[in-house]
Amino acid sequence: MGHLTPEVLARLVDHEPTRDEARHLDECALCAEELDELHRQTDALASLPGLLPPPGDWDVLEARLRSEGLLEDPGLFRRLGLGTTPEWMRTAAALVLFASGTALGAGLVSAGNGLPGDTASGRGVVAGVSTTDDLATAAEEVRVAEQAYMDALTNYRTLLAARDGDEALGDPGTRIAALEYLLAAGQAAVRQAPADPFLNGLLASTLAEREMTLRRASTGNDLWF
Amino acid sequence: MTESHLIRQAADGDARAIRALYERYAPRVYAVVRRIAADADLAEDYAQEAWIRVIRALPTFRGDARFSTWIHRIAVNAALQALRRSETREKRRAAMPEQVPAVSRTGDVLLQDRLEDALALLPDGMRQVIILHDVEGFTHEEIGDALGVAPGTSKSQLFKARAKMRNLLKTLAADSKDEGVASWGI
Repeated sequence: MGHLTPEVLARLVDHEPTRDEARHLDECALCAEELDELHRQTDALASLPGLLPPPGDWDVLEARLRSEGLLEDPGLFRRLGLGTTPEWMRTAAALVLFASGTALGAGLVSAGNGLPGDTASGRGVVAGVSTTDDLATAAEEVRVAEQAYMDALTNYRTLLAARDGDEALGDPGTRIAALEYLLAAGQAAVRQAPADPFLNGLLASTLAEREMTLRRASTGNDLWF
Repeated sequence: MTESHLIRQAADGDARAIRALYERYAPRVYAVVRRIAADADLAEDYAQEAWIRVIRALPTFRGDARFSTWIHRIAVNAALQALRRSETREKRRAAMPEQVPAVSRTGDVLLQDRLEDALALLPDGMRQVIILHDVEGFTHEEIGDALGVAPGTSKSQLFKARAKMRNLLKTLAADSKDEGVASWGI
């Protein structure tokens, strides 16, 4: 029997040899060595590593996915890490946003009517709706209300700190980190909806709050609300 | 976060989840399309096409197969179909430019380079069969389905491809010796 052909040897990598082929392999060192080399070749092919795609591959893919509507940025809740939390927690987070909006609206009415809230009676905040149909006036009302809201908030946390002490205020570093996170989410939200007044207001409030927290932390007089 | 959770989020279009899946599987997807294409530029296009298909098909993934297997099959099919459409056969004949391995290489670096070079020099049909069988672990039945040929044809192509590959590796090893590069066998 002559030497085994290359194709036959390639078959013997994962198939049993016939009796004649086995006998030849026992007697022919050349063919046996060639079969060993083919085994090594096949093993080496199975061990080839993955290959990194070229730099920028994801950017191209991301642009294409967006153009085809296959990619969406996560919503505000998910950016805040609430996308996978139980429904009750998301509801609670929604209530916080709602509460801030309510306070803003209340301040707006109070400032718009020129009637400061009756804090002595505990009825300082009265919910209401602005009725102006002038855009500039509405914008001014929002600005004044925002200031009123921030003032009320500052007063509240001052009173809270006076009652419960600094331990009620939390760690300033943690708070700043949380505000940074909220800020990043707010900036992303505004990028998606640049003209949205609520998102812009939320972002502005967050920026102001971060600045105030940084100032208070630097003076050792942090007051958390 | 578990993979199934990540997949669900990605199926909803979540950008971060899709990015995470991409980071996890991009080397494997790119490697298979790169070897099938035997051309870096084509491989980029094929990999992009594969990922678009994967993301589109994510809502249909039911977990019947492992996700890695599922994504891999899509990548192979995308590359094979794209290759069939491609009319740049001559372009693929050009030498393969440098590529970046996803894992660090040790003493096998010369062997791996030589294997990649030899794969690229094989005729299309042989290269596809040997990549799918010996590199990717497909059965002949699966290769038959992917390439539209009978399993027996896949087998005979594989044996020819192995034999031709063996000759190519001998030649490449001889060239390396002529250039004073240490041989790593095969």
